[in-house]
Amino acid sequence: MRVVIAEDAALLREGLTRLLEDRGHSICAAVSDGDALLAAVAEHHPDVAVVDIRMPPTHTDEGLRAALTLRHDFPGIGVLMFSQYIETSYSAQLLEGGAAGVGYLLKDRVANVAEFNAALQRVADGGTALDPEVVSQLFRASRQRGGLATLTPRERQVLALMAEGRSNAGIAAELVVSGGAVEKHVASIFSKLGLPPDESDNRRVLAVLRYLGPTDA
Amino acid sequence: MDDEIRRVAALILEAPFTRRTRRELLYCGLGGLAGLLGFWIVVVLLAFGLTISASVLGTVVGLLLITVTLRLSRRLGALHRRLSNWMLGQQVEAPPRFQPGTGVLGRLDRRLRDRAAWRAVCYSLVKLPVAFVQVYAVALTVCGLLDLCYPLYWELFRNHPGGAVSPLAVLQPLPFGGNFTIYSWPGTFLAALVGLACVLAGTWAARAITAGDRALVRGLLGPSTMAERVSELERTRSLAVDDAAAALRRVERDLHDGAQMRLAALAMNLGMAREKMGEDYEQADNASVRELIDAAHRNAVDALADLRDLARGIHPPVLDSGLASALATLAASSAIPASVTADIETRPAPAIETIAYFCAAELIANATKHSYADQIKIKIYTERAGLLRLEVTDDGIGGADAALESKPARGSGLAGLAQRVSTVDGRIDVSSPPGGPTTVTVELPLRA
Repeated sequence: MRVVIAEDAALLREGLTRLLEDRGHSICAAVSDGDALLAAVAEHHPDVAVVDIRMPPTHTDEGLRAALTLRHDFPGIGVLMFSQYIETSYSAQLLEGGAAGVGYLLKDRVANVAEFNAALQRVADGGTALDPEVVSQLFRASRQRGGLATLTPRERQVLALMAEGRSNAGIAAELVVSGGAVEKHVASIFSKLGLPPDESDNRRVLAVLRYLGPTDA
Repeated sequence: MDDEIRRVAALILEAPFTRRTRRELLYCGLGGLAGLLGFWIVVVLLAFGLTISASVLGTVVGLLLITVTLRLSRRLGALHRRLSNWMLGQQVEAPPRFQPGTGVLGRLDRRLRDRAAWRAVCYSLVKLPVAFVQVYAVALTVCGLLDLCYPLYWELFRNHPGGAVSPLAVLQPLPFGGNFTIYSWPGTFLAALVGLACVLAGTWAARAITAGDRALVRGLLGPSTMAERVSELERTRSLAVDDAAAALRRVERDLHDGAQMRLAALAMNLGMAREKMGEDYEQADNASVRELIDAAHRNAVDALADLRDLARGIHPPVLDSGLASALATLAASSAIPASVTADIETRPAPAIETIAYFCAAELIANATKHSYADQIKIKIYTERAGLLRLEVTDDGIGGADAALESKPARGSGLAGLAQRVSTVDGRIDVSSPPGGPTTVTVELPLRA
């Protein structure tokens, strides 16, 4: 996988570079602000960009803005936001244009290298990787509007894992149930939420997120 | 002693050429002329108004004249206040706006009892002698400057070869005699000497009368004392609120860029080390695992140091055992040798101690950065009437008072300190002539 990293703290930038190189990925560029990120992506056309949200010069949401530009200008390139905070409004903006090739993870997640790597791979392949924090925030936001009340606790669990970007098989492994049981739950969730079932993993996640996302109810 | 005399002499001689003096002279010129004019207008109108309204027939016209005078005085007062704010860097707020009453009589009543307007009338009347001195000071300076140029003037325009020498009259605006005329080039140096004396006298007179005028403007053209106190409290409250918000933002930023970042790196290092160890320890890549654990260890130690610094920045634990020992600790860690003398009889409130501590820290940091001093002396003592006084003196290059007068970004440097101190009704005084020494005095009440 070819990766571009944008992170202003040198310590983390170098750590990430080393971690990903150890995993056999090639780092095209490791930069420290949004403009440099856009330039690096335009030059190298990587599979995925790992982007810190807070970067110079204003240390607010440069990374997010750069990521939105990337999503618009290079739709094929996965973008994994990487931050010390999860902000619902950020996730909402990020997911506005669809959930394909988008990730939003807490920096803490890098402690589990295998999972982090899997998430990055998913994003590069056009999938989704959302931090459990993001999912639970979105859940809370949508629960306030009602609508999820009809789901059973088990279905809610399945929905949360779907929203994180897991496949049916992944969900089955996580919950230690059979694949058939998961499919049943998924079908039930779709019918309860009034969504037509779809075979494609991606459209499934997109549908779930569209329902969860605070941008449209 | 010699140094002292030389310093004072330099101060006296340099004063006429500073930016402050130029502004004061400009203020004296404009403000003085406006004052002379304003005095006559106000006196004439007021005299007419009072006389006419005393007669039975003219009461209405007289009262009208008086209200016109009052309105005009308010305008004149605003003009003088703006002049002084703009040119002297004063910060006198406008008095409260006039609140018109209802009905003809109501309006008249409000007008006649408009305290701010009557105080402005007082200013216009008192201004007359002040304005005389101001205009005189400007005239003195201008004449002095002309006299100073005589040697040049003589060389350029009077040096007709073989021609008759036309005498030059030395200008000196003394109200009594003593004028003299010069007939030769060497004589012009005498004129220049007189000129120098005039410039010095003029500029120092301008400074003195400006100081008086400042006080008059503050006393008569600002809001009245109670209103003034309220607006001062409003101002300092908003400063305090901003300051607290900025402090929290700083803490968040420090956490984000410091400890949080290091702990994330630590987690990353440990995660990678675990990967390297593999499922069974036989295959472990010992060298890189060791290296990763070293990095993790370093990050943990750095995170601890960051957190310790942050905690100290929020509230130095040493403050709990009193200002004296806190300042001693501060002095011990100063890059420039610093000594502390403390004489605190009653212990100030914790908030005051914290402010005093951070003032001292900032002042020591300033001295270290800008003064090139060899020594810093810190004195802290309580005074009568519940006052805590902190004095930080360094023997450096001085010139720090400019930093107080300029208005840099909020919360930075001396101006920032002055703002923070003003939130508890404290004040800062800076004495820092070019060449030093610099003494910054911070006065704080014992209770906030």
